Amino acid sequence: MIRLLCFFVWMLYFTGTLAQEMDADLMRIKNRMDAIVQFSADLQLDLEAPFINMPTKLASMHYKKGKDTKFSSNDFVVLPKRGLDFAFSELFEHPFITVNRGIEIKNNKEVKVVNVIPTDDRSDMAVATLYLDVKNERIAASEITTKKNGTYELLMEYENKHSILPSYVEVFFAMEKLKIPLNFMGNDTQIDRKTMRNMDTKTGKVILQISNYIIN
Amino acid sequence: MMLPLLKAELFKLFNESKTWYAIGAVLLIELIILFAAYYQGTTILDLLLDNLKQSFYFEGNLLNGNLLIYIILNSLWFNLPLILMIVSSALITEEYKNGTLKTIMLQAVSKWQLITAKYLTSLIFTLTVLLLLMSTTFALAYSIFGNGDLVVYLGTLNFFPSEEAFKRICFAFGSGTLSMIFFTTVSVTLGILLKDPAKTWIASAFFLILSSLLLKADFGLGQMERYFFPKLTNSWQRFFDYQLNFPSILFDNLLLIVYTGVAAVIGVYLFKKQDIG
Repeated sequence: MIRLLCFFVWMLYFTGTLAQEMDADLMRIKNRMDAIVQFSADLQLDLEAPFINMPTKLASMHYKKGKDTKFSSNDFVVLPKRGLDFAFSELFEHPFITVNRGIEIKNNKEVKVVNVIPTDDRSDMAVATLYLDVKNERIAASEITTKKNGTYELLMEYENKHSILPSYVEVFFAMEKLKIPLNFMGNDTQIDRKTMRNMDTKTGKVILQISNYIIN
Repeated sequence: MMLPLLKAELFKLFNESKTWYAIGAVLLIELIILFAAYYQGTTILDLLLDNLKQSFYFEGNLLNGNLLIYIILNSLWFNLPLILMIVSSALITEEYKNGTLKTIMLQAVSKWQLITAKYLTSLIFTLTVLLLLMSTTFALAYSIFGNGDLVVYLGTLNFFPSEEAFKRICFAFGSGTLSMIFFTTVSVTLGILLKDPAKTWIASAFFLILSSLLLKADFGLGQMERYFFPKLTNSWQRFFDYQLNFPSILFDNLLLIVYTGVAAVIGVYLFKKQDIG
């Protein structure tokens, strides 16, 4: 009798664990994304960061599955290290488990919140919270904590209900205090030291407007 | 009468070997600063962009002609005026030293015409050197180091596209030229006051150093401080503020022109009061 009870307890635990391993909605979205072999698109970048002024920049991006995404531009372009992997290939590259966190309202949309926890040490991601637009089978937002490069958040908007790749992305990231060499400063530069001291880490934002997708 | 006088003054100036030595020295300084800036540029960019490297990739080259011209501008406005002041003040001090003023005054030349011609010669010389400097700097910087976006730090890290950077650099050269004209005009006035070349050079150097020191000084006068001439001589730097305040910069430059005019008027007045004979 005790053995039977133990068996049932073990079965309950085992099925529970299995249920946590792969969220079905996420897997459906992942499969949809996995179908993208390569794409190219035009980017318009706007950087909003404390103590940095940069005009709107234009670039083009070329993604090929399994390869590093390439960017090209005629200008000097500052590209966020994180947040340009629209296919989330890095996140799904290594084995992971998922934890369903329920339903939430984000940006006036009902989203399913799922934690993705990589189980492989090779993964650079520590944990990711994905906000799934289950109805349209795509990711609406994400909050990813990396092992080396801090945490970044992504908010995504899509051109229409069929789009799998976003047309508008906001990437939020933490920035450290600016350390500026004195000999490069203008002679009458007024430094707001109080503000500088208070900005050990601040949040920066990159707004990406993506157009002219060619998806294969 | 004014034009022949001016022509004669320009002829004398460009026949002086020290004028050509000065032009040679200015070009040599420019070349040295250019190559020093190239080596300094990599370090500057590394330090400037160090914070951003954690969050960003960079596509493109920032170590280009525009950055080098900006670094040159920063160094030039502190090295160039002394040479220009020495040549400009010599326009009058050499006349005192050689006793040639008496000979000129024996002709049908009024004192104010003569001294105005001296001031105009100083102005033309300054403009010529600045034009030469600007064209050679552009030619060297762009041909060797190419074009590209400019990054400067003025309280904020400002990025300018290459066309915008070129425009602002041109404006900065224009504004810097007004500062140089102010210094050379003051040096001619100092020459009238002191008469002796060596004393005038020392006074000019002192005036330049004092201006440089006062530029960094904070007297706690708030907005009033920016009307003080040492602050105005640095107006060129304001062309690299991300949001340009054209009316304010224009006002500063016009005020500097007024200061220059006042220095010249004082010089003309002192010269007219002097007994040449």
